[in-house]
Amino acid sequence: MTEGKNWNPNIVGFMCNWCSYAGADLAGTSRIQYPPYLRIIRVMCSGRVDPIWVVEAFLKGADGVMVMGCHPGDCHYISGNYQAEKKILATISIVKMAGISEKRLFLDWVSAAEGMRFATLVTKFTKTIKELGPLNLSQEIKERLECALATVKDDKVRWLIGREWKMEQEGNTYGESVTKGQFQGYLSQIIKDTYNKNIIRYRIKKQPKTVTMLSSETGIEGVELLSQLVDLVRIGKVEIVEIKNKQPYYRWIGD
Amino acid sequence: MEKNPCSCSPPSDDIRIGVYVCHCGLNIAATVDVRDVCEKAKKLPHVIVARDPMYTCSEVGQSLIEEDIKKYNLNRVVVASCSPRMHESTFQNVLKKAGINPYLFEMANIREHCSWVHEQEPELATAKAYELVKAAVYRATKLEALSKNRSEVVKKALVVGGGVAGINAALNLANAGIQTYLIEKQASIGGYMAQLDKTFPTLDCSICILGPKMVEVGKHPNIKLITYADIEAVEGQVGNFIVSVKKKPKYVDEDKCVACNQCASKCPVKVPDEFNRGMLQRKAIHIPFPQAVPASYLIDEDNCLRLRYAKKGKEVCGLCMQACEQGAIDFAQKEQIVKLNVGAIIMAVGAKVYEPIKETQYGYKRYANVVTNIDFERLLNADGPTHGELNRPFDNKPIESIAFIQCVGSRNEKINDAGRYCSRICCMITAKQAFMVKEHKKNVDIFVYYIDIRTAGKGFEEFYQRARNEGITFLRGKPGAIKENPENHNLILVSEDIDSGRIIENEVDMVVLATGMRPQDDLVPLARKMHLSRSSDGFLMEAHPKLRPAETPIDGIYLAGTVQFPKDIPDSVAQAGNAAAVAMGLLSKDVIEITPLNPVIDKSLCVGCGLCEINCPYGAIRLIQTEEGRKAEVTAVACKGCGVCGASCPEKAITMKHFSDYQMDVMLDALLSQEEVPLND
Repeated sequence: MTEGKNWNPNIVGFMCNWCSYAGADLAGTSRIQYPPYLRIIRVMCSGRVDPIWVVEAFLKGADGVMVMGCHPGDCHYISGNYQAEKKILATISIVKMAGISEKRLFLDWVSAAEGMRFATLVTKFTKTIKELGPLNLSQEIKERLECALATVKDDKVRWLIGREWKMEQEGNTYGESVTKGQFQGYLSQIIKDTYNKNIIRYRIKKQPKTVTMLSSETGIEGVELLSQLVDLVRIGKVEIVEIKNKQPYYRWIGD
Repeated sequence: MEKNPCSCSPPSDDIRIGVYVCHCGLNIAATVDVRDVCEKAKKLPHVIVARDPMYTCSEVGQSLIEEDIKKYNLNRVVVASCSPRMHESTFQNVLKKAGINPYLFEMANIREHCSWVHEQEPELATAKAYELVKAAVYRATKLEALSKNRSEVVKKALVVGGGVAGINAALNLANAGIQTYLIEKQASIGGYMAQLDKTFPTLDCSICILGPKMVEVGKHPNIKLITYADIEAVEGQVGNFIVSVKKKPKYVDEDKCVACNQCASKCPVKVPDEFNRGMLQRKAIHIPFPQAVPASYLIDEDNCLRLRYAKKGKEVCGLCMQACEQGAIDFAQKEQIVKLNVGAIIMAVGAKVYEPIKETQYGYKRYANVVTNIDFERLLNADGPTHGELNRPFDNKPIESIAFIQCVGSRNEKINDAGRYCSRICCMITAKQAFMVKEHKKNVDIFVYYIDIRTAGKGFEEFYQRARNEGITFLRGKPGAIKENPENHNLILVSEDIDSGRIIENEVDMVVLATGMRPQDDLVPLARKMHLSRSSDGFLMEAHPKLRPAETPIDGIYLAGTVQFPKDIPDSVAQAGNAAAVAMGLLSKDVIEITPLNPVIDKSLCVGCGLCEINCPYGAIRLIQTEEGRKAEVTAVACKGCGVCGASCPEKAITMKHFSDYQMDVMLDALLSQEEVPLND
């Protein structure tokens, strides 16, 4: 990969077999031209796309990721694309925390009849990525992405993302309705907490640090860090190794 | 790489891959440097042999793979050519023939996704093709042998829609000894063809040739006819569909009714008759048309006095009940849900004729003497509102001059649905109707306003010339507007003479708008219930436009007639035969094999949270109580392999067969790393 004008973006696309992959096929048979940077990975349903794959794609060097499924209501598997929407939208918020532009992760719908639409979306996305430039995986970004990866692997986060669509339809286990806003509130709080927890873990695993040090390194507010650290000490994931100048040094002892 | 603790761990045996990078004539080779890709592929891990056949899918190409498998003892094959949606099964069969599991095959799509879409950038296209091949090779190293799920075939068929296509499909199946259900939305089968007066180009009386077929359907021992019914839901898969059909009440017992008309003669409610396009009236209790099959009356729920008042708790009228000597009338009939278990479904729901409301310049529904071609069929018919006399139904004035306008609502570039293109039948309908007018009355002046006349079809051109020779005036160009003469309700067509550029006004007694076809209004919900794709024009999409025109992308569901695209009667009947033949091929088997893309659950990781159970669209995963607590379990035949469970599982306890995380992982490695990443086996 060379920088500047000759830079060729790495774009990975996860396309569902029935609509968007077929739409890409139609673009081919209709000879509709689009930029040659997208590499398509076929999945049976956009609902199969695990947020882990998306974050891993960035970690492995993708400059942009496209996820495309059937139009709402047209999913070959009834509701897979609704699930995909929840998963990818949550993933967008997570990679954004890691400092990656939300424009690098793209979700949209293309039917098997929309070869032209497919080509147009790919052309537009490629343009966006070219404007954003390469995703330079600095040590900093890499660390943050690792934390994003740990976040999308987190069982609580996965449970909530997986539960979202049905919860909106049918309410919670007790039949109480949960509004979209309410749910989004819980979800974003938990995503943020989990991400921060992973950042803390990353930072104090090898070397004990104080709240002030952590705060200046990560940009997370001291109050927030402290409350997280207190929780983590309580559940035995973090211990205080020493107190210097009235400042406790925390170290990660969990897995 | 994510450690995979699942029992179905990625293969680690001695992997021997054969790679075939296809030229596809010049389809790929004109853009992609196939030889270069092939040379590079030779250096990829585990690749034993790489070749660049001219046409890999040809007999030569297929036997080359087969020979190589034996010669080099290959256990994985990668073909880089067209879309797997096109030829995956072709090559899987080659592997099967050579004695290796068909799921140890991977395809790289370097034609539809590469050479055809990057024609201007051969270098980048070649680089992309290589990366796609590399990803396919990497994935191939992680492929596992899968055994297909076997499922018994229910040897019954369902035909949806009882127009001429559905009737023929059902008869073809039934004559081959297959139990066939034919369901029809209306109270009688027959469809639009029953409404036509004559058919082109042979001028057969439409109902005279359709009627006997309809009767045959009604009496056929292998056909169960269910009319006045809609599809509620479709479950199951190829070979074993369960279709819920909602049968609306007719309030008349079909078996008892002898169609004597006593009831209708007493019925006090008169409403416009749909069959005669509202130009005649019928009673609330009525038979759809004289030749209806089943030959039974029905009560129109919305208009029957007794049924309307019954909703308000009052009991009125009931004259029909008193008149019926057979005791066939049953106001207590309720909506019924019938469950049908079938192996194959033929979709023959047809199209609708376009109602040119948007073309306000022609005044349809505004001027009494502007009609569409389907209205005019009824006017020509002996059973129609004028008993076949060439009179205007509005004032009974004999028609002495008539104008036809072609392409109304068709070939309009401004719209993006079926109105964009030629509907294929309207030119011939006009030729036929003009001819029929001349046959009724020689001295009628006929004007046809057209853009192009299209008469491709057997005997069509000859017929068109014959009609032309009857002395019909053909005028190129569509009228800009139609005005009504307020005194005699004649119509004045305003058009521009292309040669002189002058505006011409032409007064006629009647105007016929030649309209084309559109998809049925309820096709969208129906397609969704069956997960069928629609083309951009709104009609149902076929599996392949050339090679599989009567099949849908969904196995076991087939297409017949105008539900796919506007067609005339011979084409609809031909496709019905094709659909029936393909369905028979399926139904001739006792057992079919279903692609086994099931999830595998690692019980040691499963915590029994139940997220998979909640999210599975097919109820194919359930939690069961085991000694170690609640664990998820998969019902293989119910699973369709979408993989939502795998993508959701909080504990990553689910591995999707054939679309596993570790396969995805190596593909991402292959696509994104600039240097060769060693594969950790």
